[in-house]
Amino acid sequence: MDFLLEPAIAIYTALAVALTVWVGIFIFLWRIDSATRELRRRLDEEAPAEPPATPQATLETRNGHARETTVMSDKK
Amino acid sequence: MSDRLRLNQAAKILLGVWMAGIIVAMFLVVPQYVGLGDAGRIIILHVPTAWITTVAFAVSAVYSIRYLWKRRIADDAGAVAAAEAGFLFCVLATTSGMWFANIVWGTPWNWDPRETTILILLLIYAAYFALRSALDDVERRRRLSAVYNLFAAVTMPFLLFVAPRMAESTLHPNCAFIQGSHCDGIWLEMNGTRVGQLGDVVLALQGIEQHGDLAVVQVEVRMPGLRDVALLTPSFELSSGKPADRPEFPGQQFLLAVEEVDLTNGRALLNMEAPGTGLLSNSRTFWTFMASNIGFLGLFIWLYRLRADVLLLQERLARREVTYGLPA
Repeated sequence: MDFLLEPAIAIYTALAVALTVWVGIFIFLWRIDSATRELRRRLDEEAPAEPPATPQATLETRNGHARETTVMSDKK
Repeated sequence: MSDRLRLNQAAKILLGVWMAGIIVAMFLVVPQYVGLGDAGRIIILHVPTAWITTVAFAVSAVYSIRYLWKRRIADDAGAVAAAEAGFLFCVLATTSGMWFANIVWGTPWNWDPRETTILILLLIYAAYFALRSALDDVERRRRLSAVYNLFAAVTMPFLLFVAPRMAESTLHPNCAFIQGSHCDGIWLEMNGTRVGQLGDVVLALQGIEQHGDLAVVQVEVRMPGLRDVALLTPSFELSSGKPADRPEFPGQQFLLAVEEVDLTNGRALLNMEAPGTGLLSNSRTFWTFMASNIGFLGLFIWLYRLRADVLLLQERLARREVTYGLPA
């Protein structure tokens, strides 16, 4: 392996090491990026598309023959 | 796949190829420099990472201001992510500088003004992360760390740009590498101040002699920690008014030059020169250097946005766990 450190070769050895390190970093980041995107997609899918139903109550008051209906809701 | 996602992916692939090209250019396109040898190539990595550090900390401060203004979690995540990326680039700049210093200046750490200030900056931002991890109340953590981040960002320009330039002498680029700039050097006198300091090297004037058109100055040089002591004899051409012989400092690749001589009063202006002065005047080095700045800027943007995304996802998962009682 000593030949890799010979003056004429050393610069190419250093270049190969630097390139390998960069490729490793790039693949690492790419994979995290993909995993993050996938996780976000799954969380978006899991989240309900519409807000949960607003609690409602219907009160019917009977006043003789008349019938009045009031719908109560806390929806704003 | 949406158009936006496709564009993002293409930009990341382009960044990967771009940075690979810069690495190849750094080793095979940028020329060697007399005296610095292959160590001069460090400029392609060291300076851009230092510059991106300032960009990152500035971006982090902007996010902190936005957080304090609008109280959005995304801004807090952006501030942390940019600060973390800045810290990473700062560590890269420091370690690459240490590697260079070890080769050229003989020791990885010289307590040069710029080395000292970048270390202080690292400690200030390390305290930012420590502060965040020390506070349990989430809202309080975000608010206090945003305020601290603004104070940290205020110190950054002073530590990186002002303080190193206030120092009388430094081994760093503002007097060694960038064309047009220079250290002022020191005047030593036979009948006055005979001992002075250039960077961390102690100089003692021993004598000034005239040999024809040359003024030869004898200087005793003591290297840091008294590792080496040597008698150097730089000379000055009287007719042209320019330095002639520039001997090397022992164990280092810097040169000692006489920039002015006053034979009548026995005075000489001594200065330190780096063999790679004018490094960026070479067009191949200059364009590789500019491309490196663009590449590292792209890498920073990718890094901090990715980290901010991860932080926001962690937040969502934590909320999901609280809401549904599900494991994150």
